[in-house]
Amino acid sequence: MTGLVITGWSELIPPVDPAADAAGLFDEPLPAARAAALVDFDVRAHLGRKGTSFYDRATALAVVACAAALRDSGIVVDEVGSARVGVVLGTTVGSFKSTSDFSRETLVQDKPYLVNPVLFPNTVMNCAAGQAAIRLGLRGVNATIAGGRLAMHQTLRYAVNALSRSTTEVLLVGAAEEFSPHRAWNGYRSGTDVGEGAAIFVVERADAPRHASPPVAALLGVASGFGWREAAPAALAGCVRRALAAAEVEPSMVDLVATSAAGSGPDSEYAVAVDVLGRSPEHLAVGQLLGECDAATGALGLAALLHRLRAEPTAVAVLTARTPDGGAAAAVLRGVP
Amino acid sequence: MRRVAVTGLGPVSSIGTGVAAFSAGLREGRSGISEITSFDASRFPYRNAGEVPDFDAAALLRRLDPAEWGRSSQLAAAAARLAATDGGFDADAPDPDRVGAVIGTTSGESVVMEQLTAQITDAGFATMDPALLAMLPAHRLAHAVSAELGLAGESVTMATACSASNYALGYAYDLIATGQAEVMFAGGADSVCRWAHAGFFRLGALTASACTPFDRDRSGILTGEGGAVLMLEELGRAQARGALIYAEVLGYGLNCDAKHPVAPDGPSIAECMRIAHRSADIKPSDVDYICAHGTGTPANDAMEAAAIAEVFGAVPPPVSSIKSMIGHTMGAASGFGAIATSLAIHQGFLPPTINWANADPAFPGLDPVPNVARPATVRVAQNNGFAFGGNNAITLFGAAA
Repeated sequence: MTGLVITGWSELIPPVDPAADAAGLFDEPLPAARAAALVDFDVRAHLGRKGTSFYDRATALAVVACAAALRDSGIVVDEVGSARVGVVLGTTVGSFKSTSDFSRETLVQDKPYLVNPVLFPNTVMNCAAGQAAIRLGLRGVNATIAGGRLAMHQTLRYAVNALSRSTTEVLLVGAAEEFSPHRAWNGYRSGTDVGEGAAIFVVERADAPRHASPPVAALLGVASGFGWREAAPAALAGCVRRALAAAEVEPSMVDLVATSAAGSGPDSEYAVAVDVLGRSPEHLAVGQLLGECDAATGALGLAALLHRLRAEPTAVAVLTARTPDGGAAAAVLRGVP
Repeated sequence: MRRVAVTGLGPVSSIGTGVAAFSAGLREGRSGISEITSFDASRFPYRNAGEVPDFDAAALLRRLDPAEWGRSSQLAAAAARLAATDGGFDADAPDPDRVGAVIGTTSGESVVMEQLTAQITDAGFATMDPALLAMLPAHRLAHAVSAELGLAGESVTMATACSASNYALGYAYDLIATGQAEVMFAGGADSVCRWAHAGFFRLGALTASACTPFDRDRSGILTGEGGAVLMLEELGRAQARGALIYAEVLGYGLNCDAKHPVAPDGPSIAECMRIAHRSADIKPSDVDYICAHGTGTPANDAMEAAAIAEVFGAVPPPVSSIKSMIGHTMGAASGFGAIATSLAIHQGFLPPTINWANADPAFPGLDPVPNVARPATVRVAQNNGFAFGGNNAITLFGAAA
């Protein structure tokens, strides 16, 4: 057992049916006008003008979602102590747009060094976690993990360790991914629609004096691993086995398999899980509801799963993820009646 | 709690690749700074960096095809391969899922990002090369290590900027100490890139040609690059196979300033040192050497020296900065610091702060090990790493008992 519970969460989810008209969001062209984007998102409406003017979209989404998750949990940072509250965020490349735009200035300016130094921190992948800490006064463990589609699992793994090995008692864990021309064209080049969104979860130890409202779900086990090319299915199978073992959950107890990819054919995440479980529980394809959301894929998938577990608190779910590059991960969660 | 040994070192640096060359570089006080060749720096006022121009990925990598991986992933995988070879890692050991990789980085595949940006700028988004797009995600740095060494355990890229290697080492240490892993390859990698060179210049944090940490007249960093990976192993396992043990990982500390995106915070850094000391169960007086973050900017070195004085008192142990030799290698920096620290303990010397000329009256008790390496018995050493975002991370190493 990881001994962790989720005591609050937030989600920023764009409309998908129909998707919004994103054409007005950027000066640059988009491959398609409609996209799963939060076109009305305005960081100032949430956090005011002060301190937010140099946030990029990814940072703004993350900080707003962190603040909302804290509110949902009922946690007041000053009551817990700022050194005991931290944040662990997932990412893929930070902000592709911020970094590329900054780099572009070195190509198009008369003098290549005439970049805007205030925007330099936005090119660094820990920008969102650093800004969340500043905004919310979080001086505990502060980490950023570039996990791509594994980010939710890897940040949860990191949180399990940090909450048992440091004096941090409360962690905000999750990811945001921004919509941008850069990501949209990246998706276009590989034939996928990209979306954006954020989901942040408040995680605490179940055996510690809890600071928040009653738990929504228990994280029973989480594992991540690696298998290059032909070893990829075995890597995911290993993660499912290790997560089940950590959770002390028998295959017969699993009610749901929630996957980051939609398919259920041979070697799909679902097929690998079914092979390990020896049975075919209900399949929830939670990872692609908004299109490709990269690092936020797992966070948004976990949020979708939590809605289900809240309605059905005795259900046990396996949540899987993998990257095209060999990364694999699985988690076991249960609702809290 | 299980104990954790350092049994393999893999430096790919501007002062030498492999343990022998890197160690000789530290002892000689070699400078790895040269004129930038990886991009056209001719229109920049400052044109020096700590590049690794002789990096030959194909010669170092056994499994990966360099054509499929960005420069930072290649540096990470090559450093891990060197560490595995140095440590006598047996890829056919049982439980491959209990062997993993944790790699820190600041800018991930920055060279790939700049190639894509050039394509966007020249001919529009639709001309981005899909092969480059596939190389861009930063999780590939850790995955490159896992693929190169055939590891099935955790494969994690820590993106906590310039202290990321210490984050990686701390996490890897915990996974072994708590019995979740047997062997971990931990460290960091980054590549010199145009945008960081420009960004640090415009922040007023870049210097022209020589980085002079803790000197009164210090004026900034030089950007650098490299891969720095350590093989960490459960101590009993290392002893049982008769492995050479460079050092033991004693513990680490993390905290966050929560104050400013780029400016360091002295009291928060001091608190991070105390957290690390508690984790390692040592007192400040036990520390024989501090491998400083020591970027050479006026602000960092002043804050770091003040924090050291606050924690260690008026006469702290010797404090040197290897950034004077290799520049600021960003996400790899505290990985190189950890390698230098392990060598200091194992070989009994203090790496120097080169280019040092004038004591700063603001920190009179500080001994920067000026210019020349010094023989010393190092039983406990502290390796500092600080970063944008207020991400402080400090690791502690001790002599193998």
